Amino acid sequence: MKKLKLSIEGMHCASCASNIERSLKKVSGVKEVSVSIMLKKGTVEVEDGVDIEEIKKAVAKVGYKVVKVE
Amino acid sequence: MNESHQEKPIEDHEVVSWKRKLIWSWVFTIPIALLMLSERLFGYAIVEMPYSIIITLILGFPVLFIFGFDTIKSGLQGLFTFYFNMDSLIALGTLVAYLTGIFSFTGFVTDYSGVSAMIMAFFTTGKYVESKARGRASSEIKKLLELGAKKSIVIRNSKEIEISIEEVVIGDVMIVKPGEKIPTDGVVVKGGSSVDESMVTGESLPIDKLKGSNVIGATINQDGILYVKATKIGKDTFLAHIINLVEETQSSKIPIQKLADKITSVFVPIILVLSILTFVNWWLLFGNLSKAIGVGVAVLVIACPCALGLATPTALMVGSGMGAKRGILIRKGEAIQTMKEIKTIVFDKTGTITKGKPEVTDIFSKVKESYLLQVVASLEKLSEHPIAHAIVSKAGLSKYLKVTSFSIVRGKGIIGKIENKEFVVGNRALMNDRRINYSDFEIEIEKYETLGKTVMIIAEGKKVIGLIAVADAVKEESVEAIAKLNSQGYRTVMLTGDNEKTAKAIAEQVGIKEVIANVLPEDKAKKVEELQKDGMVVFIGDGINDAPALKQSNVGIAMGTGTDIAIESGDIVLANGSLLGVVQAINLSKATFRKIKQNLFWAFAYNIVAIPLAVLGLLHPIIAEIAMALSSISVVTNANLLRRSKID
Repeated sequence: MKKLKLSIEGMHCASCASNIERSLKKVSGVKEVSVSIMLKKGTVEVEDGVDIEEIKKAVAKVGYKVVKVE
Repeated sequence: MNESHQEKPIEDHEVVSWKRKLIWSWVFTIPIALLMLSERLFGYAIVEMPYSIIITLILGFPVLFIFGFDTIKSGLQGLFTFYFNMDSLIALGTLVAYLTGIFSFTGFVTDYSGVSAMIMAFFTTGKYVESKARGRASSEIKKLLELGAKKSIVIRNSKEIEISIEEVVIGDVMIVKPGEKIPTDGVVVKGGSSVDESMVTGESLPIDKLKGSNVIGATINQDGILYVKATKIGKDTFLAHIINLVEETQSSKIPIQKLADKITSVFVPIILVLSILTFVNWWLLFGNLSKAIGVGVAVLVIACPCALGLATPTALMVGSGMGAKRGILIRKGEAIQTMKEIKTIVFDKTGTITKGKPEVTDIFSKVKESYLLQVVASLEKLSEHPIAHAIVSKAGLSKYLKVTSFSIVRGKGIIGKIENKEFVVGNRALMNDRRINYSDFEIEIEKYETLGKTVMIIAEGKKVIGLIAVADAVKEESVEAIAKLNSQGYRTVMLTGDNEKTAKAIAEQVGIKEVIANVLPEDKAKKVEELQKDGMVVFIGDGINDAPALKQSNVGIAMGTGTDIAIESGDIVLANGSLLGVVQAINLSKATFRKIKQNLFWAFAYNIVAIPLAVLGLLHPIIAEIAMALSSISVVTNANLLRRSKID
């Protein structure tokens, strides 16, 4: 298990945050998800071995962009 | 700090881009509005039909498809992928209205194309104001993010060079001139000064720093030159920890928010369906296609998931920012909600109510005092306990006696051998365990204890040879803080491993009525659990020894000391060691929660009232859009008003 902090660009309303959460939860290996519109950041807890590209794709799929992963 | 460089433009970029869209939208929308209203305003139409429709369509095109491009695109993407968002409603509403302009030439529908541009223009205006207000809500946090120093002067190869903060490595000696920021956490190796730490700990008075003092990065050196050896860099610094804590708060969910979140996630599809049903109903019932379209559009644009979705995070953001400014770090958002249920406040004694730096005040010896001190200090040298430090520093020995065996009895004292003689140093409990009779000393012991001093009994073999009394002074603010909590009606309790008399004396000094004494460290959590039977409990402790009790309590408040903040435990962390922070934390939590409730109430109320009005056809689409924009602006503005509440 590890925690990733994503900086996400393009969020402008509360339903954006909940869409990103919904999309990220569908990625296999993702446990906890929390996206904050105020910080424009998301925190995801993922199992080891989860591809970061998958996470980025899940965010891109709903129309937003991950600009940084920590 | 790298992070802050990137953080800022993203936020500003949003406000700037909405502003640009807003200005240009209105440049094209104002003429449309004049065209639409000219008949009502001036009594005649500036441009006759159908030319006015053509002009409206031409002027409206850039408003929707250039300045509103991002919104339309994101909205349609949402519609096609079934990840509906706020934009889906606006996109659908404006597109439908725009198309009526084109289809009006067929004669079946009335032209609503002017409405589409007006909706978009009001939408961008609302978004601009909202994004600005959101920026204001996070202003304290942003300040915190930008607090870190960018550059540092370090000594390398005996030369002073200026390097960027990322290049500083542990062990570098940094030179900090008066008025400059200390680049990163470290320890003073040369020089002396006072340092303003208010920006990270909320402590308003400058703190004196001498050789050996720890300093915090991003705090400001006041008057002398400091040579600081870097001990922590990057993610490990005090400031980085604080930022991390604050971000953690934002991503933690508050129970009350759950319902709003659930509704937000299903809100848009429900509105889409409702809008279609409304449109079909109106059309079938009244046979008026144009009116049906107008009402359908009004339903689309009046619904506002944003007010619901922003109610909690904006208030939480303002609240945690206010806290951070005072050195109060709310780690778990849930604590805010729990705080209003709290009945009992339990304090650990040492280091929480008292300074945690005991000093030897009295020595009562049956043997030579210097011998007693020499023996005890040699033994205590091996212990980490604060009282041990006090005795060792009082003795000030240059040479210690050789200790051959040594053991610590947790919560009671120590036992060790010197020159084959066994010494027992500790409290009554330890003496009782070892069957050592101290009754001859009872009067002396009680005399010290009623003064709030902790007494160490020293026995050589089975014979008591002396007493050492240690006092831990009460923090100046403890009295004021506890008086405030008492007057707010809380039950205040002191929990300590000390004996009853000492504990009671201290409790009396600070105004605590209940004392639970003689509690072994491992039993603190159990005592908290017992107290929880009478209502929710806040436990305040140092975070290291008290971690289990902090966890057991409903809200655990960990007291940070100086450069170390106990972040692993505690729902709330106080960066400075003052108990006044507890009062502020409680007041802030309650005020923030009240704000969240208010916001959620208004957001729910707005939607519950406005949506039926729109369904009934009582709201013109433009009025609906204005109302929608105002609802989310009012929620964010109300959150910003939290700053006015008194929490000190």
